[in-house]
Amino acid sequence: MDILTLIFGKAGPMLANLSRYVLPLVAVAIVARCVRSMLRERYEPETWAYLYMTGNIMVPLRHWECILGRARSVDGQVDDPSVEKMHACLIRSPQGDWTVYNLGKGETYVNGEPVRTGGAVVRDADVLTLGQISTRFVDLTEQERASLLKYRHAPGRHVRPSVTMLLLTVFQVLLLLQQLTYNPDAGVGVAMGFAILATVQWSYFIVVRASGQRGFEPEILALFLSTVGMSVCASKTPDDMFKQIVLFLAAIGLFVFMCLWLRDLKRVQATRLFAAVAAVGLLAVTLVIAPVRNGARSWIEFGSLTVQPSEFVKVLYVYAGAATLDRLFVNRNLIFYIGFSAACVGLLALMGDFGTALVFFVTFLVISYMRSGSFATAFLAVGSAVLAVMVVLSLKPETLSRFAVWGHVWEDVYEKGYQQVRAMSAAASGGLFGQGAGNGWLVDIYAAETDMVFAVISEEMGLLTALACVGSLLALAGFVVKNASSGRSSYFVIAASATVSMMLVQIILNVFGPMDILPFTGVTFPFASMGGTSLLSFWMLLSFIKSCDTRANASFAVKRPEKFSGGAGVDDDGADYLPEDGYYDDDGYYQGGRSE
Amino acid sequence: MKKVTNRALSVLVLAALVIAGLGVYLVRLVRDGGDWATFYANDSIYTNGLLNRGSVTDRNGTVLAAAGEDGFHYAEDSAVRRGCLHVVGDLEGNIGTSVLSIFRDKFINYSFLTGTTTKGGSMKLTLDADISAAAYNALGSNKGTVLVYNYQTGEILCMVSTPGWDPEQGVPAEPGDGAFINRAVSSTFTPGSVFKLVTMAAAIENIPDIWDQTFTCTGSTVIGGQTVKCSGTHGTITVEQALACSCNVAFGEISRQLGGTLISQYAEKYGLTSAHTLNKDIPTAAGSAPAAANDGDAAWEGIGQYDDLVNPYAFLRFVGAIANGGTVVEPTILYGKRCGTTELIEPSTAKTLSEMMSYNVSYEYGGAGNFPGLELHAKTGTAETYGGSHAWFAGFITNANAPLAFVVLAERAGSGYGVAAPIARTVLQKAVQVLG
Repeated sequence: MDILTLIFGKAGPMLANLSRYVLPLVAVAIVARCVRSMLRERYEPETWAYLYMTGNIMVPLRHWECILGRARSVDGQVDDPSVEKMHACLIRSPQGDWTVYNLGKGETYVNGEPVRTGGAVVRDADVLTLGQISTRFVDLTEQERASLLKYRHAPGRHVRPSVTMLLLTVFQVLLLLQQLTYNPDAGVGVAMGFAILATVQWSYFIVVRASGQRGFEPEILALFLSTVGMSVCASKTPDDMFKQIVLFLAAIGLFVFMCLWLRDLKRVQATRLFAAVAAVGLLAVTLVIAPVRNGARSWIEFGSLTVQPSEFVKVLYVYAGAATLDRLFVNRNLIFYIGFSAACVGLLALMGDFGTALVFFVTFLVISYMRSGSFATAFLAVGSAVLAVMVVLSLKPETLSRFAVWGHVWEDVYEKGYQQVRAMSAAASGGLFGQGAGNGWLVDIYAAETDMVFAVISEEMGLLTALACVGSLLALAGFVVKNASSGRSSYFVIAASATVSMMLVQIILNVFGPMDILPFTGVTFPFASMGGTSLLSFWMLLSFIKSCDTRANASFAVKRPEKFSGGAGVDDDGADYLPEDGYYDDDGYYQGGRSE
Repeated sequence: MKKVTNRALSVLVLAALVIAGLGVYLVRLVRDGGDWATFYANDSIYTNGLLNRGSVTDRNGTVLAAAGEDGFHYAEDSAVRRGCLHVVGDLEGNIGTSVLSIFRDKFINYSFLTGTTTKGGSMKLTLDADISAAAYNALGSNKGTVLVYNYQTGEILCMVSTPGWDPEQGVPAEPGDGAFINRAVSSTFTPGSVFKLVTMAAAIENIPDIWDQTFTCTGSTVIGGQTVKCSGTHGTITVEQALACSCNVAFGEISRQLGGTLISQYAEKYGLTSAHTLNKDIPTAAGSAPAAANDGDAAWEGIGQYDDLVNPYAFLRFVGAIANGGTVVEPTILYGKRCGTTELIEPSTAKTLSEMMSYNVSYEYGGAGNFPGLELHAKTGTAETYGGSHAWFAGFITNANAPLAFVVLAERAGSGYGVAAPIARTVLQKAVQVLG
């Protein structure tokens, strides 16, 4: 018996010590696999119809929303003085019907009939006249579509998501081992938390994979970051583990709901105004009822639960701020958008929430830049200036005093630089591989588990893991940019771009604030910071990234184009992932056939 | 749509900012990580406010400071503790130029790759605990410093500064004057006659008939309207004799011939007016030798008074260069770390100075009878300051087993020959015995 105790007494710590070096490598491997899968795997652009210009020049329409006009930046260029720069907009419905809208002052005709407000239906072989120039619209035949699809690959061919999921599980097991070894407070609760986490992620994977979807990189990266957040929670307060896991379950639920909701763009379009009203309303209510905490009125307390409504408003802001092409360039919509943004940032300024106001402002800039056309630019420039002033107004004395110490934190280690110098000290002492999860001290410093989480990760899990965390968000950004080129609707492209912008701004503030490269503002690290509302909102925001993933059979947030469902999924090597039997249901889900 | 999709690239601007920021962070982490990690709030290396890892020993393995099971301790012997205090430092960081302050990252074995996740470091210094203890005892109640180093290898065997305290007992309620300062590296003093070595070097290289000149000392003389007093009445003497008996009248005249600017240039050339770094990281204080504008001031400048200030460490380099044929082997306190060499003095000039310093000993300082066992080359200095004279004794020994250069300074303690030379004798004899 003595020998057994000896073996187990020594084997545990030895394994944990060894695992300190393995853990960061697993983290890097997880992110690297996702990056390779998202950015390296080739996928062809889609073609949805053709436009025959003068001289029988064929222009393929690559998106569901296409601008026709004289400008070089449009999707179908018609170079004639009688054509406006952005003359008309062709939009395809999920059902495969095309509608043309007149954008500017010019005239547009379908088969000689003028297009009025509300647009006109365009069918195969119709003559589309812009100003004095006539073009012919040719829809794809099913055979054409099928042969195009043949060359489109589904993700996961080269980098299997199931293997990445296994790596993630290994990562979680190692974290748990370290927590149980190093953290004297970690016990059954922490073990249960990790077990539930693993169970939920595998259930999700199996269900979604069985439904025929093959793209899991965004979720795996978010799960990876959430796992890191779970460990931070275990280090900070193991007693909160239950709360954290419940929040995680809720987050996954909301994520799935949002993905399904975003499948129907019409539904989304119809509810944008409601979202805008809800956003402003939520902020207004918060401003009225929230008590001042750390100089800001951004938290509402429900018993033991504290909620930061501005986190939900981030989701609503993206939801209401993105738009489809037909509305994108209409002045009335632009003014509404600027007003809505001003209301949000203004309310945040009144609340004194500088960090969030800044996040909104940068997101506004990104959305504005994507929306700006020839006449929209001036509006948006003015709007930007107004918002910038509001962001400055949100600066309260508490925040300003933190600014004063920027660049000089080592000269005031007892007071204003207190948190930053500790963050830097702890981060440096972790080295590349870390002290071990649960073996750090920084997490006990005020707000470390949220605002300085990059340093906590560096200390406990090593610089490599911390860089992998930042890398996973950079990977999402690259993914969105890459997907934009084959984006179907501008709504999803804009929403996804806005989402990753928010994430990037937050990591810029969260990582570089405590390290004294930027002034220290209390902003969370997406998914990895403890704090429930932030976790919920980022999982919801993730659905926008899922919705712009147009790779074949990749994302359940994207509805399969029904018209060509019969031809979908023809494989060139036929072996692994394509339906041999079964069919796609009305929602585009693949039914029957094999599952992994 | 093309425009929207193209403009999605704007996201990459933010991504570029993230990458740029990470770049800045990594550069700073590589550069300053050691300082960050050794911050007192880093609970991974401090237990109850005491370092919980690391050790530092002298060249023979004698522990000078170490973290152990029962807390943090210094050397066993009290004189060793006091004698090595200003080099080793203390946990509280009272001595800014000490190993425990400057090289704390090495002490705890911090590295960029492993952070503080490994066992503490075991540092080895070039110091010799016994010589340091002997030097501490020899200084007695004097305020001052003793520096001894091997001019062929650069290894510093002894760097004592007093007053200090016993670090095992903690800082006393009333620490002595400048107790927190390592006088060897951080202070500058009026050099007095040891500076005549610089003036002598300038004369050798710039006054062609210097060997033919004779000087007549009647106890004092007037140069440029200023009366230059001498310590004695030396009569008619050669330049060798003038250096040996440190005749102010003779050196006042030589200085007048050289001019203030040239003397100043030589002080600068020999590194006496610039700040140095010991082992790249320990800063030293810069001395000064401003060029005197008139003959009277120039005379005092060449004698080592006027506005001359010299840092003991810088002067050690200078005498080390003379000993080593003009090239200084840069000093080091980290065992096994060489810091290169610098050509400081013309080899022929160094040789001449070396011979003259040997002549000093035999002609004026009592010869081998006064310094048994030491093949000594030296120069005394008695620098007049407010409140007393600084006693200097600087030079080197050419014993086969102990090629050592040294600087002894006792602050406001009396004459160089009377106070500093006996201290040097005790320390050097101990060193020769230890290195035997």
